[in-house]
Amino acid sequence: MKKYDAVVIGAGNGGLTAAVRLLQGGARVLLVEKHNLPGGFATSFRRGRFEFEASLHELNDFGTADNAGDLRDLFDQLGVTDKIEWMQIPEAYRVISRAEKLDATLPFGVKEFIDKTEQYVPGSRESVTKFFDLAEEVRLAQAYTNSVNGKTDPKVMVSKYGNFVRCGSYSVNEVLDTLKMPKKARDILNAYWCYLGAHCDELSFVHYASMVNRYMKRGASMPKMRSHEISLAFVERIRELGGEVLFNTEAVKILTDAKDGGIAGVVLDDGTQIETRHVVANCAPHLVFGKLMDRVPEEEVRATQARKFAGRGFTMFLGLNKSADELGVENHNYFLYDTMDTAAQYDKMRTIKDNNAQATVCLNRAYPECSPKGTCMMYFTTLYMSDDWGNVKPEDYYKTKNYVANKMIDRFEQDTGAKLRDSIEEISIATPMTYAHYCGHPQGVIYGYESQYWDGLMPRLLMMAEDHKVRGLRFAGGYAMRLSGYSSAYISGDIVGRQTVGDIKREG
Amino acid sequence: MSFVFKKQIFGFMDLLRFKKLVPKRREKLEEGSSAPLPMTYRVNETAKILHPGYQSAKLMKIEQNTADTKTYVFETQRPLYFRAGQYLTVGCKVGESFVARPYAISSAPRAGLSKILSVTVKKCGFFSGYLFDNAKVEDIFTIGDPTGEFCYEPIKDSKQVLALAGGSGITPFYSMAQAITDGTEDFSLTILYGAKTEEDIIFRKELDALVSDKIKVVYVLSDEKKEGFEHGFITAELIKKYISGDFTVMMCGPGAMYAFADGQLKEFNLPIKRVKKEANCVGVRDVKDAEYTLTVHIGFETYKVKAQAKETILTAMERAGLQVPSKCRAGGCGFCHSKLVSGKFSIAGADKRRLADTKFGYIHPCCSYPDSDMELIVPKA
Repeated sequence: MKKYDAVVIGAGNGGLTAAVRLLQGGARVLLVEKHNLPGGFATSFRRGRFEFEASLHELNDFGTADNAGDLRDLFDQLGVTDKIEWMQIPEAYRVISRAEKLDATLPFGVKEFIDKTEQYVPGSRESVTKFFDLAEEVRLAQAYTNSVNGKTDPKVMVSKYGNFVRCGSYSVNEVLDTLKMPKKARDILNAYWCYLGAHCDELSFVHYASMVNRYMKRGASMPKMRSHEISLAFVERIRELGGEVLFNTEAVKILTDAKDGGIAGVVLDDGTQIETRHVVANCAPHLVFGKLMDRVPEEEVRATQARKFAGRGFTMFLGLNKSADELGVENHNYFLYDTMDTAAQYDKMRTIKDNNAQATVCLNRAYPECSPKGTCMMYFTTLYMSDDWGNVKPEDYYKTKNYVANKMIDRFEQDTGAKLRDSIEEISIATPMTYAHYCGHPQGVIYGYESQYWDGLMPRLLMMAEDHKVRGLRFAGGYAMRLSGYSSAYISGDIVGRQTVGDIKREG
Repeated sequence: MSFVFKKQIFGFMDLLRFKKLVPKRREKLEEGSSAPLPMTYRVNETAKILHPGYQSAKLMKIEQNTADTKTYVFETQRPLYFRAGQYLTVGCKVGESFVARPYAISSAPRAGLSKILSVTVKKCGFFSGYLFDNAKVEDIFTIGDPTGEFCYEPIKDSKQVLALAGGSGITPFYSMAQAITDGTEDFSLTILYGAKTEEDIIFRKELDALVSDKIKVVYVLSDEKKEGFEHGFITAELIKKYISGDFTVMMCGPGAMYAFADGQLKEFNLPIKRVKKEANCVGVRDVKDAEYTLTVHIGFETYKVKAQAKETILTAMERAGLQVPSKCRAGGCGFCHSKLVSGKFSIAGADKRRLADTKFGYIHPCCSYPDSDMELIVPKA
């Protein structure tokens, strides 16, 4: 029987990172991926003369060599930064919301962001500055937490990071209320909420502030050859370090030890049995405990059942036969909402019929050469906050897909004044079914478990140790302790990779 | 920090609240249901119908369409749904090797939901020859995922589609015509169908029966002059005779037909988005005979196989009996995506790989010929 120190199930961002970390820690590693490509959502695909980015809007917390974010530091340690060609996104976002008649374009840079918001909302400077002060303390508190592997000293926390602790249990809106931020400034500042998939009455302030602050401090980055370049760089690195990667290979069973209920092995789809005492699962606990594991403790079933799926994904990709200038597509990154009442917007996003929100990117505005001269590429993403796509029958599937795509094009044209419809050369549409098919996620969820108030970033991080109940089993990726998003998934892989190295060493 | 954050009048209340985050979550997790977790989900079940993966299918009927064309009707294990114009692979064990080839689906998408699916095959190569001579009703085959972009896209295509079909290239259009008739698709389809003689027309009776205000079929015979048929090739003149205004051209047929049609279409000045061509399988190349050794890593095994300079790397691996992934056999779908460890190769036609694939040395064996000994890491089929 084949024997490995650890098996990583799933070559998504979390799994890839965990595999590198394990190898760096001296472990023998097998990484299995059911698809024929690495990356999970982090991939690309070709249509005609376009190569589309499958999912990455912009990479948070990466930065540049002289203004490095935590993620770049991580990639440096993993040995992948230099395998990838990077570029910087020019501006933060343009947010348009119908109910408030809001149309604001924001730059990167903390000072620049505060100045611009003051222009849009005179009198907002003080509260927005306080927001970033708090956010910076959040960042420093997180850095301290990481440096002591989560075992924080309460005295240090209260004395050095008092504001972090005092705001740490509140939602975004509760904190912004306390800061007395003018409504319009708050509307502008809350634009990123859909990146985290929970509305601002639920969403943890710490989580949100941490993300916004990192965007403003470090800007945002993209690999030139789409996220596929990152994913292949990781595979390259894994093979350099002696790891084994098998594509088109699904793990169909996780075997446990009758004595302690811990990990004993993995069965692959061709029947091959792998002996191992450690699994990093880069997939949903729902799948591991619902389908893969032969013996599941009841407390794991209860804990898994208690959690709520976050947004199910939908993306339309357009290859256009005119340049962004000709089409009137002025910006790189758009958020289009019906309302900045994020709870109301969230509600509308439950159904196919009522969901009109979109986060849209024109990649050429960051990287003009990403498609042939005289063309441009755009992708339009939304989330569904319920399982409404589960109601779509196969025979209605293509019509439903096109219904949503048409709504997205109309909405973008109406809200921005750009004209796209007559210039579409290539179109491709990914739905929850597509994400379910390629990545295996339940219901086509792309955001893991929702950042509900009780299940947000802080309690998950604080409970990392006690959430680890089955010996040898740890989770990476969007369902894990850092929640979803590219940088979070990479960081979760780093955390569980290092933890598993520790587990292996302790076993001797 | 320049200010002290306090949500409640006394800052310690905020601290207490923070302390409760953990017990609160602990409590919520314990409150979850102990009922077994679902084995599957509705969206995932629908995804299985749209992307069924490999499945077995029983051959139910063989229809002889013309002297060298037959339609094979299968009953699939599970229901499937696709877009008219898509193809899938049909395969089975021939001798010691598993062999599969892509064929356009000739049945309607709707029939797939009742597990009925057919492909129409022209006898022209190894596997089609095998099917012609050996396949019989009740035989079990393996069919793959419906794939391909050779479909009507209502958002970008003209409501009028001009189909240029050559020989067995009529197959995807026959599926589209059925889908229009049963209401699955909504566009008007004008088919200019080139065949050598009347005898060579596939689906003559079926197509004629589908003619409506949305479906027009014109037969163009190259080797025969007959009343009721156009004669010659599909020329610009002929196109103008049957269609005007804005239209999308979809072509399916041999390469020589595409070259001729491209010339005829020049005067219409169509933008790229108005012309779609179904890709053809990559065949042999015309070079001097040479034999190379491929070192192929699949899963935990390593194999050494012989490869001919004339044939693709995929063909070499299949000939050696290796189970390797293949789908379009035209370089486009990326299903055979493999890592090149060392060696030289040439690509047939345009390079359809992703940019990062080129950078990190990945190739599509189905459209690549060996130019030296090579070492590859190939996913299992």
